[in-house]
Amino acid sequence: MNNDTKKPNILWRSFRSVRLTIVLLILIAIASVLGTFIPQREEALEFAHRLDPDTLRLFHALGLFDMYHSAWFRILVGLLALNLVICSIDRFPGAWRRFSARPRPDRSKVFHDIPEDQRLEVITSSESVLETVRTIIASKYKRVTKKTSPPATFFYAEKGRFSHFGVYIVHLSVLIIIVGALIGSFYGFEAYVNILEGEKVGSAMIRGRMLPVALGFSVRCDDFSVSFYDNGTPKEYRSDLTFFENGKKVKSAVVRVNHPAKFRGIIFYQSSYGTIPGDSAMIRLVRRASKPEVRSVNAGSNKEIPLPHGEGTFVVLEIKDNFMNMGPAVLIKVKPKQGDQIRFWVFQHHERISRQFPGIFDRFPKLNPSAFKPYTFLLEGIESKYYTGLQVSKDPGVPVVWAGFFLIVAGLFITFFTSHRRLWIKVLQQDGKSEISVAGMANKNPVGLEREIHELLGELKASLGERKNA
Amino acid sequence: MLNSTILSYITFVYFGAFFFYLCMMIMGKSAFGKVATLFCLIGFVGQALAIGLRWYESYKLGIGHAPFSNMYESLIFFSWTIILLYLIIEWRTKNKTLGVFVSPLAFLALAYASFSPSINSRIQPLVPALKSNWLISHVITCFFGYAAFGISFGLSLMYLIKRMGGDRPQNAFLKLLPTAGILDDLNYQVVVIGFLMLTLGIITGSVWAHSAWGSYWSWDPKETWSLITWLVYALVLHSRMVRGWRGKRMAFLCIVGFCCVLFTYFGVNYLAGLHSYAKS
Repeated sequence: MNNDTKKPNILWRSFRSVRLTIVLLILIAIASVLGTFIPQREEALEFAHRLDPDTLRLFHALGLFDMYHSAWFRILVGLLALNLVICSIDRFPGAWRRFSARPRPDRSKVFHDIPEDQRLEVITSSESVLETVRTIIASKYKRVTKKTSPPATFFYAEKGRFSHFGVYIVHLSVLIIIVGALIGSFYGFEAYVNILEGEKVGSAMIRGRMLPVALGFSVRCDDFSVSFYDNGTPKEYRSDLTFFENGKKVKSAVVRVNHPAKFRGIIFYQSSYGTIPGDSAMIRLVRRASKPEVRSVNAGSNKEIPLPHGEGTFVVLEIKDNFMNMGPAVLIKVKPKQGDQIRFWVFQHHERISRQFPGIFDRFPKLNPSAFKPYTFLLEGIESKYYTGLQVSKDPGVPVVWAGFFLIVAGLFITFFTSHRRLWIKVLQQDGKSEISVAGMANKNPVGLEREIHELLGELKASLGERKNA
Repeated sequence: MLNSTILSYITFVYFGAFFFYLCMMIMGKSAFGKVATLFCLIGFVGQALAIGLRWYESYKLGIGHAPFSNMYESLIFFSWTIILLYLIIEWRTKNKTLGVFVSPLAFLALAYASFSPSINSRIQPLVPALKSNWLISHVITCFFGYAAFGISFGLSLMYLIKRMGGDRPQNAFLKLLPTAGILDDLNYQVVVIGFLMLTLGIITGSVWAHSAWGSYWSWDPKETWSLITWLVYALVLHSRMVRGWRGKRMAFLCIVGFCCVLFTYFGVNYLAGLHSYAKS
């Protein structure tokens, strides 16, 4: 006998203890609670401003603003994983022994204290009794062995031996999930990118670190749209993307929430959207004359547009979505046929501004939309451009995690809903009678085994006929 | 809408069930228990019909979806799963005493849903994030888990009350309760069901998050609290199976576990996070 197996070293002993598991589970739970109350990552900034410098330094040193990725949290999870591995290695041989054990069918001890209702007496001692017993057991149990030692015949039957491994499958799957997560954190990234309609990008920003990551291909947003229900809540966000490799169109895809698109192992998710002022504005021209005339034009920047009656041309020089804090405005330059050029700003909320600041447009010719007579320029709106906000992720660990998920469910079912049931049946045949005794053992769910034994006895009774004991 | 009117009436049916279970426990008359079970059955069937009706009505509004999309609908489903599990246990164990501990949970959940001013009972269209086939499986598994843990909470209270009463209790209430051993075993079985369902709930949620949020795990407060709950019940199972903790310690741990469930369900709504549609 090797001494090492008897008295393992202290490290091994402490890591194989379930007490350590309990402590680690509690610590991880408490740490996780902390992380839900202290704002993490992107949300941490505002919270950090409200802390005094010493607390802030302490929080920062402990990594509390990105707790789930801090070294000490990873160490806790690592210890749990180690604890799991060592517990499993330590206990597995026992489980293997219970799995592979072949007990003798003719055990006598198991019959010593079985209850009276697990015995049955029939008034025949023919061979056919044995055959009936055997068939009935075999209908419920796959592995049946028989041993004869007159006047008794013994049967041993068992099923559900795999039940011993359920818990190891669960533990293995937890490890697989952790490994999957590690693969993701080493070889994957989580980034985001905003793409204007019609624009093309070749990289994205890593979340939290503000580092660009090259995608290895480029992606163009052809179109972004958002639709709403009647009550105003959003119904669908949709981006139409095209992927390019070496300047060539390779694939088109539609990305909606819950329906990401995958290209070269990188997945694009609809995450947000926004608008920026575009480069064209809707302008209404009102010509004051005997017969007022109204005309709307779509003016792109720096495109010369002739005035309706040939007085000259005008150009939109600048488009601002919030000029001087007074809302959308455009800078217009009018080039008359004769005379000097005039520049002035035109506000979209002209009415409101003139109510707020009476006389402002007369005092400042630069803000007067009627500076070029006989026209008045009105800004109907700035065409805005959508951009789509995409989450860009790569995680080669995902299939591993999925495998872990599948296994953990299988393992839990085996652990909780199967049991290793073992039956010993003794048929004592003498004096023209057969006495059948049934004893059973199960590693789990003793009530279920008892129920099964009584079912079995019921079937035996039905096919053999019972002799009522006086 | 008709469905929410029916549901608000069912609140009183469950209160009736609770009242008659209580009468049975105090006066020791089994006739009250039969009436209480009848109330539970009526409530259960009525609620099932109302949930079905709500589903149907959402289609008639042109925004058809399974009724699992907000706080109101989840509370309705929660109380329904509790009563379903309870009725199964009552039928299997032929014992009605658990009813007095469990029917109040169903009643409270339904009362909160129907009468709280902060909860909107109108059928709302699904926001883009919820438009997924995972919605149904995620909600069903999670809420069966929550319901099982709610029942485990009831059983743990029963266990502690039974133990406080000593070995030879005098009053009818304590005498009617099953033996501490039976309660402990039953509690374990219910925790196993809950743990399995919660595991499935976390997994379905995780697979869903992978396609909706771009990551199978983002440490969102609700995710994190479901993990905390999972860890607590993992602790319950380990301490029992390996270290043989039973009885009082088991009961206390299950009560702590249910507090975590409640925080995962309600408390998390006060923290910022991605699960915001479950708030109202």
